[in-house]
Amino acid sequence: MTLSRLCLATLLATGSAHAAELGAVDEPIKLAINEWTGQHVTTHVAGEMLEAAGYTVEYVTAGMMNQFQALADGDITATLEIWSSNVSDEYAKKIDDGTVVELGDLGLDAKEGLAYPAHVAELCPGLPDWQALKDCAGVFATAETLPMGRLVDYPADWGTPGAERMAGFGLPFKAVPAGSEGALIAELRAATEKKSPLFIVFWQPHWAMSAYDVQFVDVPVGNDDCFTDAAWGPNPDATMDCGFSPSRIFKASWSGMADKWPAAFEILSNYTLAVEDQQPMMGAVDVDGGSVEDVVADWMAANEAAWKPVVDAALN
Amino acid sequence: MTRRPGVLAAGLTALVGALCLLLQDTAPFLFAFPKTWTIPTTDWVGSVLETILGAIKPAMRWFSWLIAYPMDGLNAVLNGLPWPVLIGAVTALGWHLGGLRLALLGLAGFGFVLLSGYWSESMNTLALVAVSVPLAMIFGGTIGILANEAPRLRNPLLGVLDAMQTIPTFAYLTPLLLLFGFGPVVGLVASAIYAAPPMARNMLLGLERIDSEVKEAAIMSGATRAQQLFQVEIPTARHQIMVGVNQCLMAALSMVIIAAVIGGFDDIGWEVLLTMRKAQFGQALLAGLVIVLFAIVIDRLSAAMARDRKRFNSRISFVIFGIGLVAGAALYLTANTTPPTGLLGPVAEMVDEWLSRFTVVNATLMDDIKNTSMFYGLLPLRIGLDDAVLPFTWGFQWTKAMSLVLFGISALTCTALIWLGKPVVGLLFLIGMGLLETGITNLPWPFFLTAIGSLAWVASGRKLAILSVCLLVTILVSGLWERALLSLYLSGAAVLTCTAFGGVLGVVSANSTVVWRLLRPVCDLLQTIPLFVFLIPVLMFFQIGEFSAFLAICAYAIVPMIRYTRHGIVTTPPEMIEAATANGATTWQILRDIRLPYAAPSILLGLNQTILYAFAMLVIAALVGTTGLGQSIYLALGQADVGLGVSAGAAMAILAFIADRLVQSFAEDRRKALGL
Repeated sequence: MTLSRLCLATLLATGSAHAAELGAVDEPIKLAINEWTGQHVTTHVAGEMLEAAGYTVEYVTAGMMNQFQALADGDITATLEIWSSNVSDEYAKKIDDGTVVELGDLGLDAKEGLAYPAHVAELCPGLPDWQALKDCAGVFATAETLPMGRLVDYPADWGTPGAERMAGFGLPFKAVPAGSEGALIAELRAATEKKSPLFIVFWQPHWAMSAYDVQFVDVPVGNDDCFTDAAWGPNPDATMDCGFSPSRIFKASWSGMADKWPAAFEILSNYTLAVEDQQPMMGAVDVDGGSVEDVVADWMAANEAAWKPVVDAALN
Repeated sequence: MTRRPGVLAAGLTALVGALCLLLQDTAPFLFAFPKTWTIPTTDWVGSVLETILGAIKPAMRWFSWLIAYPMDGLNAVLNGLPWPVLIGAVTALGWHLGGLRLALLGLAGFGFVLLSGYWSESMNTLALVAVSVPLAMIFGGTIGILANEAPRLRNPLLGVLDAMQTIPTFAYLTPLLLLFGFGPVVGLVASAIYAAPPMARNMLLGLERIDSEVKEAAIMSGATRAQQLFQVEIPTARHQIMVGVNQCLMAALSMVIIAAVIGGFDDIGWEVLLTMRKAQFGQALLAGLVIVLFAIVIDRLSAAMARDRKRFNSRISFVIFGIGLVAGAALYLTANTTPPTGLLGPVAEMVDEWLSRFTVVNATLMDDIKNTSMFYGLLPLRIGLDDAVLPFTWGFQWTKAMSLVLFGISALTCTALIWLGKPVVGLLFLIGMGLLETGITNLPWPFFLTAIGSLAWVASGRKLAILSVCLLVTILVSGLWERALLSLYLSGAAVLTCTAFGGVLGVVSANSTVVWRLLRPVCDLLQTIPLFVFLIPVLMFFQIGEFSAFLAICAYAIVPMIRYTRHGIVTTPPEMIEAATANGATTWQILRDIRLPYAAPSILLGLNQTILYAFAMLVIAALVGTTGLGQSIYLALGQADVGLGVSAGAAMAILAFIADRLVQSFAEDRRKALGL
């Protein structure tokens, strides 16, 4: 396995790797387990790295939205996959308080955008080019949205990027908030099975990308000019006529962690995981039915070169 | 009620409605409440709450630390015991309380939990329920006793109980987390808050119903007030109190899922959430059924305990328990204590595949059902006939002339009804027509306030009218009005549908034991399974949107309507029916003229419960993409906005409260008219 995939570059660049004390080895480090499989994989890889360094790790289930109070109180030591696209404002408050500290990027390369399951390309010829959607709105119309087409947007508490894009591109679609990730997946599943039209806002890495063969719509790449300057992009009268700003995926810990477990703090700070590593593990769990522990253990054994240096750098 | 306020109220409502229509174009603020008129109440609520929360936080953290002990202890015991010991114990208890039937129920119920592969998660859940229920019982019982001892506190306390049952937990989840810290304790407190009201109500009812002779006897024998209460009155009221215990258990179990949303320990609700997120219906159902089975086993066992019946041979109980103990010891000695996993996995997958096939085969049918209900039912109710009747939905365009004809007819009918001495019906008809024409979400707020105020006045009197209008004004100025109307529309549509279908189902199951035997377990299932589970098939059939949300609300809210209607009809005194039969009445006549009028108060109580349930479900409905108050609560969670969450929750409680008090007042009239 190549080292380049992982964090060596970060290590060299920041030069932050120096030997650190282990700290309170007899007390377990508590890592948050959120509601999605990718996060389970991310967390278990980190947990195994900490165990390899001589720590005991406890996995604590925690709702993504509600975990930051726990992090601030030290009831959870660290949470390792926070998406900037749907992080709760509670996080910003805790960062301001100084009770939670950020541990840097996880290195997962996320992509979000307007998307559709592959079979929809037949119903709306011209996809993946976004221009095709101008003439296909009728295909996607439903009782609630008539005469406009229907776009299933993110749940409202994650923001409304889909609605903003429809306004930006001037597409005749009404954005319907999904309510929950489960609802979005149920739509994808039903549409794929029924071969019915569906137009959604989706993201990767996600196990459903391959399971339902989800394709992204081609749009101009998003940048700050597009978000602020109406003149930019295909629609001269509106902002947001481009793709999403790339989502940051990062890690955070309780502020007391650096003092209590210095080496562990360093390991988690330098820990990164690539999409190419996470996605197959997700597939092995969600599609092939393996347990997270087994899948991660296999990966750890096969990719020692990828993670061992991070642990060693913190210890020696 | 006298006739005059009715006439006056109807006239006033009609006048305000007409004025609003006339001023439609010149005064748009009558329709959309201007943003500049709103007061930042949500911010105030937020800052006041945060001050209070900060002040009581240390005490609550201490409580949290204290309560964690019994829970961790129980958790260790339940998870430490080999599974045969626990199954043996439940089966033995079942035999002791109810013989073979309950023994088999206990065995089958806990056997299913074992086979589901979620044994250790289930034990965590059981530990949570085992601590939260006593907590809720003490809390609820104290409120009940307090309301009984201090009559002046009675009405405010009842209002508090209503709020506890209707304000969704999600609304105050953020403050709870701040107060109690992360972990199962928050879930425990939340479920205790929700489960306490039934206990309090039954405690109060039980104490109020005690014969005065019993009380007097206690006073004459020189007992102090405390002695009277604890040695005479509470033991006498124990049957009603046991009903409370039972309802408390059910409510606590239905809240298990909330503990999982927070997280902190690996319970069965967490499994439901994970599988729901992947839209795996079979697996979610499997995990959800564990909660249903706990509910059914605990319900039937505690119901048997409440009955003063002879107990079954305890020797057999000991033998059953002994078998469990020996089997457990054997497993322990062979170091084989890990419960089996995944035995029912293939079944879950089969269910899942069946769902896929069903969705594909019936796709067109499902679309037709959805479109028909949307075009001819939900849309007119939401945006009114004038917006919903379009050439491509109804086949023609709604015109101004049609509106005028409709208003003319309704004004004439209302006048005729008042003239006939039925002002209430006339008023309801007028409001109903106005609603149908403009749609609930487009109703001008002055008309809405007047209509509710008039109804409250006619139904109960000036006090309720003033209270209702004041409460509605608080929603209006808090800026949540539009969302509140959307919520009202969704819940209103669900309540109407549930009343019609639930009423019919209730009547049918009252007349046929076969139907009831089939329907009863369905009712149990709908009330205890986490409704997240049913969202998956509903979404696959009908997509994200209002229709799915509507169905989800109906699934939960229809149950009380069925239960109370059936109960009311079945309990009609036989002598009334005999008298009617002797006079030559047919079965249909008996149903129409004897049974239904007699059952009216009970049916109205069912309607009231249906209303409360429909509002309580708005939060779950928001998970399938509705945009009313339920969504505000999730937004508040995401933005960590304590004020918005609590205000939106309070708005829901206010709507439910007003609807509830209106129905109850009409029920009271009815009861008086029947001389009951």
